[in-house]
Amino acid sequence: MNQRTACRLFPVLLLALVSCARKPVQQAVFDPSTYTELTFNDSDSMDPAWSYDTASDEVILNIYEPLFMFKGSSTKELVPLIAAKVPTRANGLISADGKTYTIPIRRDVTFQDGTPMTMADVRYSILRFILQDRDAGPSPLLLEPLTGYGGTRDSNGKIVPGIFKKAEKSVQIQGWDLVLHLPRPFSPLPTILASWAPIVSKEWAIKHGDWDGTEATWKKYNNPQKQTSPFFEHAFGTGPFVLVRWDRNTHEIVMRRNEHYWRAPAKLKYVIIKGIDEFETRKLMLEAGEADSIYADREVWEQVQNTPHVQIIDDLPTLEVNPIVFFTFKLDGTGNPFIGSGKLDGQGIPLDFFNDINVRKAFAYAFDYKDYINEVLNGKGIQPTGVVPKGLLGYNPNQKIYSYDPQKAVYYFKKAFGGQVWKNGFKFTAVYNAGNIPRQSLLQVLKHNIEALNPRFNIEVRPMDWPEFLDSYISSKLPIFILAWQADYPDAYDFTFPLLDSQGAYPGPQHFADPRLDKLIDAAVAQTDPAKREKMYWRIQELEYEDVPNLPVLQPLDYRTQRDWVQGWVNNPIFPDSPYGCYYYPVYKKLPAPPRKPKHA
Amino acid sequence: MLKFIARRLLFLPIVMLGVTMLLFGALQFLSPAMRASLYVKDPRQLSALNEVILKYGLNKPMPVQYWIWLKQVLHGNLGYSETAKMPVAVAIRAFFPATFELTLVSFIPILLIGIYFGTLSAVKKDKLLDQTTRIVAITGYSLPSFVLGLFLLMIFYGHFQIFPPGRYSLNVDLLVHSSRFHHYTGLLTLDALLNGDFAAAGDILAHLVLPATTLIYISVALLLRITRSSMLEELGKDYVRTARAKGLPESVVVKKHARKNALIPVVTLSSLLFIGLLSGVVITETIFDFPGIGRWSVIAAQQLDVPGVMGATLLSAFLFVVANMISDMLYAFVDPRIRLN
Repeated sequence: MNQRTACRLFPVLLLALVSCARKPVQQAVFDPSTYTELTFNDSDSMDPAWSYDTASDEVILNIYEPLFMFKGSSTKELVPLIAAKVPTRANGLISADGKTYTIPIRRDVTFQDGTPMTMADVRYSILRFILQDRDAGPSPLLLEPLTGYGGTRDSNGKIVPGIFKKAEKSVQIQGWDLVLHLPRPFSPLPTILASWAPIVSKEWAIKHGDWDGTEATWKKYNNPQKQTSPFFEHAFGTGPFVLVRWDRNTHEIVMRRNEHYWRAPAKLKYVIIKGIDEFETRKLMLEAGEADSIYADREVWEQVQNTPHVQIIDDLPTLEVNPIVFFTFKLDGTGNPFIGSGKLDGQGIPLDFFNDINVRKAFAYAFDYKDYINEVLNGKGIQPTGVVPKGLLGYNPNQKIYSYDPQKAVYYFKKAFGGQVWKNGFKFTAVYNAGNIPRQSLLQVLKHNIEALNPRFNIEVRPMDWPEFLDSYISSKLPIFILAWQADYPDAYDFTFPLLDSQGAYPGPQHFADPRLDKLIDAAVAQTDPAKREKMYWRIQELEYEDVPNLPVLQPLDYRTQRDWVQGWVNNPIFPDSPYGCYYYPVYKKLPAPPRKPKHA
Repeated sequence: MLKFIARRLLFLPIVMLGVTMLLFGALQFLSPAMRASLYVKDPRQLSALNEVILKYGLNKPMPVQYWIWLKQVLHGNLGYSETAKMPVAVAIRAFFPATFELTLVSFIPILLIGIYFGTLSAVKKDKLLDQTTRIVAITGYSLPSFVLGLFLLMIFYGHFQIFPPGRYSLNVDLLVHSSRFHHYTGLLTLDALLNGDFAAAGDILAHLVLPATTLIYISVALLLRITRSSMLEELGKDYVRTARAKGLPESVVVKKHARKNALIPVVTLSSLLFIGLLSGVVITETIFDFPGIGRWSVIAAQQLDVPGVMGATLLSAFLFVVANMISDMLYAFVDPRIRLN
């Protein structure tokens, strides 16, 4: 073959190959057996005891099963899943003192290969979940109610003496009953068990080199390296789907229907969750029918409107407060670039600037919440009445909230620091995480409103990358910072403790502590009477209103973008990555009926 | 020649050591909390920040951390990449073949088009063809790759439903991960052909068309212009005039005499282009959801994934030294006056 012939043959060959390739693409347009979800983030681990990110948790939700499940879209009502009954005081499965939970377990549950689940698996799963306790992991969510300890290690990384015995004693089995002994009543326990610690196979775990369930070896598996666990990239659960492959190369997770599922099999045969960073690519794949649903945030809402065969389900409730403005009560002045001169001389702020309640109240009255929600976020959300979001016990629709009132803001600024703030003015830098437009807008609104009150007030707004933010946050250098909180489990404690308790995630670096709040938060979680508990959370939010340690600005409403052939999807805001993520068991695909032609007489 | 290759290869570990030391030195400017951001991504994890710093030894002095890393490397372990969620060596093996395949599919046309049309433009200076290639070169230069990439994607995939993003479609995905598909080379098009599955090869090739077209259009401009200017310079030299005066046919003058001499700067540029493509083309890989090494190394750098960044850097340094060595050898081939020793 000479050069010229080769040159002529090459395009012909190329065209022939490409024409072969068109077939699979066209077939992918409507495939009722396969569901493809496109997201932007990648999973971290398939291990239920390790995973603490929504992308991984969504997969885990479909492969493993916890003891209980939330009923439909409810975040309050539980139904049994692995358990045969949901324990309540009424059915006598929660003891009178609220410290013993007896949970009957189903006997017909099988793992994905058809082997029956045993009580040893149930106990092992819970113990493994609480004792693995990796740094920054989910174990404390269940460890605390079961043992009274917030971690298995002390601040120096040493194992807490006797922690294994405590854990072992708290998780007991009696026949087909799981009996949990708590050191004190802990009301959110059932909701935690509905969200975390799903059942894994003890036999499979041991066979593949994981913890054998004994005291002699548990320390070896405490705070492990992620990739050393067999659960990291493999799965063996009882759920409606089986993990076929987690391809970290292509950011793709493939799940297949569990043909041995103990309930009726799922309607979908395959579920593919794929991470694609670029929104335009995700959108094009949705339009082409290669994707059934995609992640699209509020900023691109207009771009997905009016797309043929694409359904937008809007105004979906969330269980998050986002954004929240936090004030730092005691700043670290060492090399702090955010506080100007560090004095109240008009060129900076003192380290205790936000320790003055008048300053905090002035800021609270200087922000236009309604305008921000309506203009910046197209009205897609509500102003929270405190840190407890709407939809949870403890939410109080009648709680007083701050609203935009420049006159009151002036009043409090004039009172602050004996009038020095008003007289001298101030200057500091407020930061937001780079790329977050709503948070940038929030700070710009705040800056505009505050600077309009007094020409000597000056706030500089600047973006900051996450690593730099962490560095400044941990060392209490940020005068104000914006973050958010989303529910680990649907209970007010999960919001009040991290956001308001002096031992919580935020009050630590904020240097905020109110002993009244600490005491009430502690008492409320142990309160088993829902009516009394609700009142306690109302009181907590009254104190929050008085203290103003933070400004909860928005409880957002989300939306979902999916093809119109997707059926059976149920939104539950507590599901991981909701409403983009999904519990796929009830989902199926069916082409919508063509519109009927009008009948002519 | 062998002496030259041996000397260059001996130089390789020194380059790699130097590059990694520089990088570690640069990381010294970042605080432990900043480097802990790799493991603490959610506000729910903020309270455990100090524990994370302790666990990963991020508060140890940087020389100590470098020594720990270097010891690992000397034992053949490049560490674990948190962003790739796999050991660094595995990540390189996983991502590199995709980039290599894309590079091959793009680089050969870049070379052929660049040299052929560059030569032709010089020969037909200021004629229609020259003007046309100039326009192509200027637009290729000035068009950002994400604009061109999205534009191509919208037309060919969005409108005509051909040339989809990704590396393959679902059917092929299931096939290449099944036991009946043998991975001979890591280059999926070739592997599919070797497996006798032409439909799969076509599908993989179809996924390569748009990213390759983007790369070709963006990269060919430079090569085209360099070839043209180098050719113009050679065509004006005395030996070309002599060759023409001797009555040699024009094609021989251009192809055998002028072009061979004009290729020296083209070889230099081509090797740099090749290294650039092999090290990964971040934007193109991102737009087309192509799982290559560029996308991974940038994510690793953004998220301060130290083992990941070091692995990608080692690979780049290795490629750079090897590609430079090959281009030096090519100099001797195109111009026998150059002696490697």
